[in-house]
Amino acid sequence: MAFSPYIDAFTDYLRTGDTRGMNDYCVDATQLKRLAVYRNGFYKGCIDALAANFPVCEKSLGREYFNQLARLYVDHYPPEIGTLVGYGEYFPYFIRDLLEVLEQQESMRLSASLVDLARLDYAWLTSLMSADATQTLTAEKITWLVEHGEDFTQAQVTLSASVDLLRVNAGTLNQWLGFKTNSPDVEPLVLLPEGHMNLSELSQADSAPAVDTVMFWRLNDAVQARLLSVPEVALMRALQDVGVLEKAFAAALALDPSFDVSEVFSACLQNEILDIDLTKYNYKN
Amino acid sequence: MEQVRLKANVSSPQQSRLAGAQLGAGLGLKLEHLDDILALPRADTLPAVESLWFEVHTENYFVAGGPRLNALRSIRDNYDVSFHGVGGSLGYDHQSMHEHIQQVKALINEFQPVLVSEHAVWSRSGGTYFADLMPLPRTQDALQSLVDGVDRFQSGIGRRILIENPSNYLDFTSEMDEPAFLVEAARRSGCGLLIDINNLYLSSKNTGIDAAQYLSQIPVELVGEIHIAGHDPDPELGQALLIDSHASPVDLAVWELLQYALTLFGHQPVLVERDANLPPFAELMNERQQAQDCLEQCRHEAASANVSLGEIR
Repeated sequence: MAFSPYIDAFTDYLRTGDTRGMNDYCVDATQLKRLAVYRNGFYKGCIDALAANFPVCEKSLGREYFNQLARLYVDHYPPEIGTLVGYGEYFPYFIRDLLEVLEQQESMRLSASLVDLARLDYAWLTSLMSADATQTLTAEKITWLVEHGEDFTQAQVTLSASVDLLRVNAGTLNQWLGFKTNSPDVEPLVLLPEGHMNLSELSQADSAPAVDTVMFWRLNDAVQARLLSVPEVALMRALQDVGVLEKAFAAALALDPSFDVSEVFSACLQNEILDIDLTKYNYKN
Repeated sequence: MEQVRLKANVSSPQQSRLAGAQLGAGLGLKLEHLDDILALPRADTLPAVESLWFEVHTENYFVAGGPRLNALRSIRDNYDVSFHGVGGSLGYDHQSMHEHIQQVKALINEFQPVLVSEHAVWSRSGGTYFADLMPLPRTQDALQSLVDGVDRFQSGIGRRILIENPSNYLDFTSEMDEPAFLVEAARRSGCGLLIDINNLYLSSKNTGIDAAQYLSQIPVELVGEIHIAGHDPDPELGQALLIDSHASPVDLAVWELLQYALTLFGHQPVLVERDANLPPFAELMNERQQAQDCLEQCRHEAASANVSLGEIR
């Protein structure tokens, strides 16, 4: 019996459920239906991982409905690497694409906010698993720079690896937090026509002012989340793009001259969201 | 219920020459139980905790940082740990192994696990990871493929590993039986064997093999660890098809088979696995204590004792 054809037949079975290719490899053809143990195990592992990685989506839809959606995802985007940690990278976009298809089917409705809930779920997970900060900018380091005659506002800084910024429809973060914390005030997602927001509405919302920017970051092993004000968004984006504090402050102040830079900067330090490489300054702790 | 009496045919089981021989009974680490574990008294103040160790599924720690790794660090500070891989796909698709091995190696470098193990199965093909333990046909081609995978894995991590016998749910066309297949894989690759007693029990019930005969074909010097776990009947086929669920307490018949295996293999690290339907930590510690008692009994009883074994055939 050749090995590769066996693997090919088994692979085909796992992907399609068609047992015919496995006939030649089973001692007792009447037991072929037992192959389902392996296929079920494959789907269960993937679906359980998606439920763990998208807990708010799962809660908002209910497990049964979530499982249907997750199974479709597994069919389209099966895992490629030998771990399910982080599986579901494309899940939010899969939901978005599915919405497009389902828009034309009156029998099945998904709330457009599900896309944002999935994005928030994955951003939270990504922040949770991101690399530990090793070069956190602290008040002590700033003092050291000043004492050594350096203008710290010109220093190159970066956002910590755990920081993630994403734009979502207004109000979605509160909805997500409600599910995440099992708040009794949160209603399950409405799967009926009146609760449906179609993609064109979603598109309008995305370009309209009713969009929130959410920042996730990790502090003391716990993921934090908050909405950013417009000048805060400008500051963070400038830090992401340019990485110079003075320019980031200027970007924020350009939008709101009354913006309290020192207060936000202090909060950044307390929350350990900025990194700085002090190697070129010969800094020694 | 058929009762089978078996007589262990070894007079004095040799001790394993593999790493980890000092370990007693361990538990699969569930982070849900982290606080309970860290609240345990120190081993030097409570004998029951002495020789306790924890096993983790290696791939669950393929993360860049964060609380999961920190939790494992806190466990490692207090207990021995072992790494048990489920996604290595040693049996097939070795071209994709490099990055996987590098991640395992990085974890090994940091945590220095006492034991490292994987499965004698395949799980990756055609660019897809199938997230379960897929059976290999026991043929010469498949054997060589498994040996190549073990070679690559061991070379990559710089450590000897153990490979685990799978749960079998049906018979595939084969050229040799499973003990011969695994022993030959171990001989050629230099790896050891992890004998999963629950898997063996399921295979015996699902495919009709003789569990005692199976164990008698395994050279003691190859054995480096033993697993026990719970199983459940298939929802459709019932007792005719037992599923390796890890969602129930260890079955009485598996405990009995463990006792028998210990008479053959002598003291081995024994791991109680539980991955679903998690009970309170205290319940798992009770099962772990039962396994520890089996090890103590093994240590003190004559190896030639008769062992009563139920429902093996």
